[in-house]
Amino acid sequence: MKTEIREAILQHQETIIEHWTTELDKFRTEDNLQSITKKVYENTNREFIDKLFLTVQNGQEDVHQELIQYAERLIQLGWPLNYITRGLQEFRKVTVETISKSGVSYNNSIEFFQEFENWLDGIVNVLVNEYSGSWENTVFLQKMALKELSAPLIPVFDKISVMPLIGTIDTERAKLIMENLLDGVIEHRSEVVLIDITGVPVVDTMVAHHIIQASEAVRLVGAKCILVGIRPEIAQTIVNLGIDLRKFPTKSTLKKGIESALELTKREIVQIDE
Amino acid sequence: MRIPILKLHEYLLISVQVDLDDQTALQFQEDVLNKIHEEGSHGVVIDLTSVEMIDSFIAKVLGDVVDMSNLMGAKVVLTGIQPAVAITLIDMGIVLDEVPTALDLEQGLDKLQSELEG
Amino acid sequence: MQVHTHVEITSEWGIVAARQAGRKLAREVGFGSVDQARITTAISELARNIYLYANKGQIKIEELADAGKRGIKITAVDNGPGIKDVRRVMEDGFTTSGGLGAGLPGVKRLMDEFIIDSELNNGTKISAIKWLR
Repeated sequence: MKTEIREAILQHQETIIEHWTTELDKFRTEDNLQSITKKVYENTNREFIDKLFLTVQNGQEDVHQELIQYAERLIQLGWPLNYITRGLQEFRKVTVETISKSGVSYNNSIEFFQEFENWLDGIVNVLVNEYSGSWENTVFLQKMALKELSAPLIPVFDKISVMPLIGTIDTERAKLIMENLLDGVIEHRSEVVLIDITGVPVVDTMVAHHIIQASEAVRLVGAKCILVGIRPEIAQTIVNLGIDLRKFPTKSTLKKGIESALELTKREIVQIDE
Repeated sequence: MRIPILKLHEYLLISVQVDLDDQTALQFQEDVLNKIHEEGSHGVVIDLTSVEMIDSFIAKVLGDVVDMSNLMGAKVVLTGIQPAVAITLIDMGIVLDEVPTALDLEQGLDKLQSELEG
Repeated sequence: MQVHTHVEITSEWGIVAARQAGRKLAREVGFGSVDQARITTAISELARNIYLYANKGQIKIEELADAGKRGIKITAVDNGPGIKDVRRVMEDGFTTSGGLGAGLPGVKRLMDEFIIDSELNNGTKISAIKWLR
């Protein structure tokens, strides 16, 4: 930013800060920032505008490191992005208004606005990037967490394994489940696999489709699938949606499933007499 | 190229070890049927552990071998279909509905035995 | 550097050559075993269609790098009779060869992107892409 412009802004620092603070106070009441105490809000505002002026003073093209650190802290505390964007918007409005009212002897006002806008856009970009970077990171971590959570195949007896499914099943997860399931069947030499859907909140046509495909694939590699954990409401939705699961053995509970798996592998659990 | 067919008592054992091209697959179909006829076999195990890919043509040939053998009075079990192959078949919408399967050669033989006795 | 391979399909052996080339490239690009099987199978279907319906043609297999994504693109080109009713060949179970009728709709499901371009008496061009996730 050019020195004259920088000085013009700095000269009106007091007025700008005053107006800006008033505007941001209005913002607090209309958004969901009401849970934050007035004091913390005011301090945060204060810090925000200070860092902004620090960046103005600095005069360099790149955003002041302290402003970035400030944004990082807001992200950690969970402040919404629109606090930042609103703050910057107000800063733009207030500054432009103040400078143009002051009748400052800066003779090329167009150049002033352009220069100032460019400068502010740079800041917007950096801060928004900071925010979206942290979101992408969060989304990535959550995806990883979900992947780890996804579907282990647990051998419970010789020839019998259980795969408990928990949570919503989307296409990507369904693919992963299928691969884990088949690799596990081969690895443990399972003849019967019980897929337990007790922990699946909703079974719609899509989810049912994935489960049917998984059990068909299990059959192809040479094992049998039993679907267990069918709660009453799931049974209702399955029938109401017209999903045909008749080709697949189903059981209401894991316990019943294991009994029938033992039967299929020609074994039973017997009580030993004293 | 021909796929070797082994005889074990009343069964035929076949382990497909090559990437099946169309001609080999068709030749294989013919050889299996001839061998069933010659030996009067009751059961056939086709092991596909080393097969890395089954496309719709090969799937059709395999399905046909199963149906044709059944007509001749021999039960067929496919064994060792790899997870990647199974997933690909499912993706393609090829279910091989009527075809009995087992994890490996050993279980395939067990399955034949229990079906023929049962 | 982007790699690509052309395989001429003039006989049944071309089908095998094309899918072997596809598997090799899929492995190099870094696809897992399941996706390798999907790509190889898709190539096999496309190559067989060329052989069955056009007698000869070409399969091009190339590595893609687009906006940070990597993938494999298969292009099957022939100057054969073309497809009369593209919508029908994309229906499951529709076949003129006595096959399972799973070929083209199967390829579409195996891959992420699928474009078919056919002109009656003037040949067919099919491209399909699988992205690395």
